[in-house]
Amino acid sequence: MQAQCSPTEKFTGGSKYVLDEELAQIVNISMALEMPLLLKGEPGTGKTMLAHAIAEALNMRLIVLNVKSSMKLVDALYQYDTLTRLNDSRFGDSQRDVSNIEDYIKMGKIGQSFVSHERVVLLIDEIDKADTDFQDDMLDVLDQMEFDIIEIDKTIRAKNRPVIVITSNAKKDLSDPFLGRCNFHHIAFPEPDMMRKILQVHFPDISEDLMEHTVKAFYRMREFRGTEKKPATRELINWIRALKSDPDFRVKDLIKGNIPYLGVLFKKSPDYALARNSVSRMRL
Amino acid sequence: MFIDFFYLLRQVGIPVSPTSFLRFQKALGMGLITSLDDFYTAARSVLVKSERYFDLYDQVFAHHFEGAELKDPEEFELTEVAAAMLQEWLKDPKGFADALGIDPESLSKLSPDALLQYFLDRLKEQKGEHHGGSKWIGTGGTSPVGHSGYHPGGMRVGGVSRNKSAVKVAMDRRYRDYSQEGPLSQAQIGEALKKLRNMIPVGPKDQVNIDETIYQTMKNAGEIEIVFDRSLKDRLKVILAIDNGGWSMDPYVGVVQTLFNHSRAQFKELKTFFFHNTIYDNLWEDPPRFKKPVKVDELTRLDPETRFVIVGDASMAPYELMATDGSIHIEERSMKPSYERLRSIAETFPHSVWLNPKLADEWPYTRTIGMIREIFPMFELTIDGLDSAVSHLMGRN
Repeated sequence: MQAQCSPTEKFTGGSKYVLDEELAQIVNISMALEMPLLLKGEPGTGKTMLAHAIAEALNMRLIVLNVKSSMKLVDALYQYDTLTRLNDSRFGDSQRDVSNIEDYIKMGKIGQSFVSHERVVLLIDEIDKADTDFQDDMLDVLDQMEFDIIEIDKTIRAKNRPVIVITSNAKKDLSDPFLGRCNFHHIAFPEPDMMRKILQVHFPDISEDLMEHTVKAFYRMREFRGTEKKPATRELINWIRALKSDPDFRVKDLIKGNIPYLGVLFKKSPDYALARNSVSRMRL
Repeated sequence: MFIDFFYLLRQVGIPVSPTSFLRFQKALGMGLITSLDDFYTAARSVLVKSERYFDLYDQVFAHHFEGAELKDPEEFELTEVAAAMLQEWLKDPKGFADALGIDPESLSKLSPDALLQYFLDRLKEQKGEHHGGSKWIGTGGTSPVGHSGYHPGGMRVGGVSRNKSAVKVAMDRRYRDYSQEGPLSQAQIGEALKKLRNMIPVGPKDQVNIDETIYQTMKNAGEIEIVFDRSLKDRLKVILAIDNGGWSMDPYVGVVQTLFNHSRAQFKELKTFFFHNTIYDNLWEDPPRFKKPVKVDELTRLDPETRFVIVGDASMAPYELMATDGSIHIEERSMKPSYERLRSIAETFPHSVWLNPKLADEWPYTRTIGMIREIFPMFELTIDGLDSAVSHLMGRN
C-alpha cells in the first residue's frame, strides 16, 4: 500500500499534462492549506485533466464525481439500497444481514473519498450543473469533512482529507459562500507556445512542419467571428489525429487554405457553415 | 502583514473576505511563499474568486509592489505607453500616423511586435521632448478607417513569458479580456434570462390570498389575519423592437431571437416588432418586414408604462437617421426623419432602453451610435449590460 502522503508533497506535473508554473504553485498552495481548488476556464483548457495529472503524479487514487443537474447531495454521499434489502428479506439468500441496515448503505463518490484508507484525489466535475443549494451544502460537508447517515445514525468522518479539485464551465460566478471556501484559478486558453508543448506531449513524433501549420491554422480558426463554440485543445488534438491518419493529406494543403475535416473542429452546424465559409477566404 | 494590500484590493472593488485574508496569512506562516512570484499566484488564488477581478488584481498588485521590485520604472512606463500607442494605432491607423507624422504605409507592413518595438524605440529617442507622452496619445481619432485583419478590442499586447517577474506579468494585464464580458452568446442565455426576471411586478398588494389567510388565521387561533398578494394585472408589458435587417446585425440575430423567444412567458404582454437599421413610419410584426406593418404613430395609444426595448447595433449611414427621406426602403418615405421618430418613441415610453450587441468600447467609432445615445440610454447586449438595462427599466425615471 502506498504510504501516507505528507501534506507538503509537491505536485510538478504528469506524463500527459503540460503544467505551467503558476498553476503548479496554486495546486501546491491549495494542498497545503487543505482547501478545495476551484478551476474555471473555457472547455478544453485541461481543467479535468489537471485532476488526473495530480492523481498520477502523487500516486493517489482518483475519484470522480460527475455532477448532474438532477443530483441531490445525498446521492454523492451515500445511498441506502432499500430494494436490495427488500429482495434479501424476501429471499434471504445473500451474505448480508437484513436486520443490519448498514449492510445496505453504499457510499457515493464523496463518501468513498472519505472512507478510503489512503489519501485520494476527489474531482468534482462541472459543479455549475447543480443548483446553488447543492453547491453550498456540499461545501459544508467538504469543510467539516464529515456527514451523517440518517438511516443508521452514524457520522462518517474523513480518514484522510482528500485533495479536492472542482471544475466549473459557468460564465457566472458561483455563490459567495461557495467561493469563500475554495481557492480559485481561471485557466486561460493556452498561448501558441504552450499549445506546441501540449501537442509535443500528445504526438511525440509530430513533424515540425505539421505542428507549425496546424497550430497556426487552429488559432486563425479560433478567431472566426460569430462562432458559438470555438474549437479547443481537445478538438485540435483530434483534428491532428485525423490528419495524421489520412494517407492523402499533405501539409501543403493547409498552406493553400484547404482545410480538411472541419467537422472535427466545429461541431455545431451553424459554426461549421460559418467556418467553411471563412476558411475558403483564409490563407496561411 | 500586507494589510494595506488587502485594503487596497477591497478599495478597488474586489470582494476579498477577511476569512480568505486570514487564510492567506496562514499560507504565509507555513513558509509556502518564498518569492514575489509565489506571492502573486498564491494571493490571487486565495483572495480573488473570479476571473473578472483578475485584471483589477493585476493592476493593484503592480501598483502596490511596483516600488518593491521594479528595477527600471522608466523602461516600464515606456512599454506601457508604447502598448497604448499600438492600441491607438490599431483603432485608427491613418489618423494616428498623421498625428505622429509617420508614413502609415510603411507601418502597416510591420507585425504587431515589430510595431511595438518601433514605437518603443521612437519613444526612447524622443524622451526629452515628449516626457510623459501619454498626453499626445489619447487624442482618440474619429476616422472610421479600419485596418485589414486587426480588430481593436481583440488585440492582446504582450504574451505570457515565465521569465518575467511577477510585477511584469501583472503589468501585462493578461486578464484584461476577462474583465468585461463579451457579447451575449447562446451559452449565456439562461443567465441573461435570470437578469430579466428582475422585471418583477410592482403592483399594489390588493388581492386576498384565501389559502394563506385561512392558514394564518388558524395559526392565530382564530383571530382573523388577512393575507394580501400583489395583484397580477400589474405584470409588465414589454415591447421589443429588433433590428433584423442587413448584414451588420447578422451575427447577433440568432442570440437576440433566442433571448426574446424564451422571455415570452415572462411578461403580461410581449409585443415583438422588427425594423431595419432604424425606425421610420412603420414597425413590422413579421420578421421579413413585409406583411404586417404597424404605424409608429399608433404606438402612442399603448400604455406609457410599457417597457420599450430596442435591440440593434445602431450603426448606419448618418443620413438614414437624420434625413427626412432617409429610409433605404423607398415605400416608407414620410417627411419625418428617423431621429424624430425615435425621439417621439422615447417620449411616449419613459421606460425605454437600447441594447447594442456591439461592445461599448466600439461605440465612439460610429457616429449614429452617439446620436441615438442622446435619445435612448444604451447598454451593451452582455450579461452585465442587460443587468444595468433591467435596473434602468425598473427604476423610476
